[in-house]
Amino acid sequence: MTTFKRPLRVLLAKLGMDTHTVGVTVIGHALREAGMEVIFTGLKQTPEMVCAAAIQEDVDVVGISTLSAGHTRSLPKLARLLREAGAGDKLLVAGGVVPEEDKPLLEEAGVDRIFTMGSDTRDIVAYLQSWWAQRLAEDAA
Amino acid sequence: MLRSPAEVAQRLLSGEVAAGARAIRWLDDRDPRGAEVLAAIYPHTGRAQVVGVTGPPGAGKSTLTDALVAEWRRRGQRVGVIAVDPSSPFTGGAILGDRVRMSRHALDPGVFIRSLGTRGQAGGLSRSTQDACLIFDAMGYDIIIVETVGVGQDEIDVVNLAHTTVIVAVPGLGDEIQAVKAGLMEAGDVFVVNKADRDGYDATQRQMELMLHLRAQAVADLRWDVPLLRAVAAKGEGAPAIVDAIAAHREFLDREGDFAQRSHLRAREQVLALVRDALAMRALDLSGDGILQQVEMRRLDPYAAADRILATLANESAAA
Repeated sequence: MTTFKRPLRVLLAKLGMDTHTVGVTVIGHALREAGMEVIFTGLKQTPEMVCAAAIQEDVDVVGISTLSAGHTRSLPKLARLLREAGAGDKLLVAGGVVPEEDKPLLEEAGVDRIFTMGSDTRDIVAYLQSWWAQRLAEDAA
Repeated sequence: MLRSPAEVAQRLLSGEVAAGARAIRWLDDRDPRGAEVLAAIYPHTGRAQVVGVTGPPGAGKSTLTDALVAEWRRRGQRVGVIAVDPSSPFTGGAILGDRVRMSRHALDPGVFIRSLGTRGQAGGLSRSTQDACLIFDAMGYDIIIVETVGVGQDEIDVVNLAHTTVIVAVPGLGDEIQAVKAGLMEAGDVFVVNKADRDGYDATQRQMELMLHLRAQAVADLRWDVPLLRAVAAKGEGAPAIVDAIAAHREFLDREGDFAQRSHLRAREQVLALVRDALAMRALDLSGDGILQQVEMRRLDPYAAADRILATLANESAAA
């Protein structure tokens, strides 16, 4: 039987008030080159807006770029909103300026993976692809 | 979590966004559960007005869509938006960025925005666009906007899908008529010149008027006088008049029986597309790679190969 590949769908959003888009744009293009569907939501998003978009788009992964602090409040809130909306099975990934000492708190709150400054886009792609392969295998089982 | 088609169908019929979103994902991924949902919800469709928004890249389709959504919301209508962007023919990947211009509607429960990649489909839409329209329709959205990819000259599949097609043109894309070539000019029910505060507006407006005049003259019995409107979508200018024109077009369609006729055409197109897809897939499965290799090696020409595959299909159905 001819079958179709299910592309991985990723929502990329920026929480907070800064307007530094280079990082999130580079990641978006790297994921596109890897065959993923990348949905941009734009700047200055609140956790509520990101949660609503993730559900409407039925993405598999929510990727948050954070460069202006505030992430210790906004990321746990987003994780909670997603769980409350029945979307806790989506992978929540963050990247940007996240001090090492904040990581335990964020991971505890439901952020699945944090990529800090200097992360290689190839590592991010590989991480998402291996997560997706595992998810597809679980679904098929 | 939303894994059973029966549950998804029932929950989307009661308006639940996550269920509608999951159904669209299944249909877009060609997951067989999508077809089950569609079968369950299909009797509940046929009420919404599907409005296509199309035009060349950079015409401001997303910004205009955003302004139209705001205007319909002021009038108490619930709006679904399907925004299509191109997928890479090489990697299958896509950047879907139309939501960025519609951010202000993110928390409005009366607006559902879904981005789709073309996933190999030509013509300005994805194969799943019609399915997504049906899901929004069954969820009770009054207006469904289908925003196509930026189109060139003949990518006008949206005409077969929409009840009302809005063509968005813009000044300053070089040779004015180049921007809106014959195919697009013939397609629209409502024309908009966006970014009307820019240089070159008058020239573009005159050219479009002339084209529409010639088009009207060529029609023996003119029933719908195609309006040509101006907009500065980024400032919200022009949106009320465009929404009025789209509403007038809906009244015209209902009055003349064209709403039913366009729905009929849509149904026909979708069934034909599904049959074509399924037949092509079945034929390729039956013939395997051997026949393609023969074409590649110049031992068989493409027409003969197609004939041979069709004969195999015919034999199969005769045996069944």
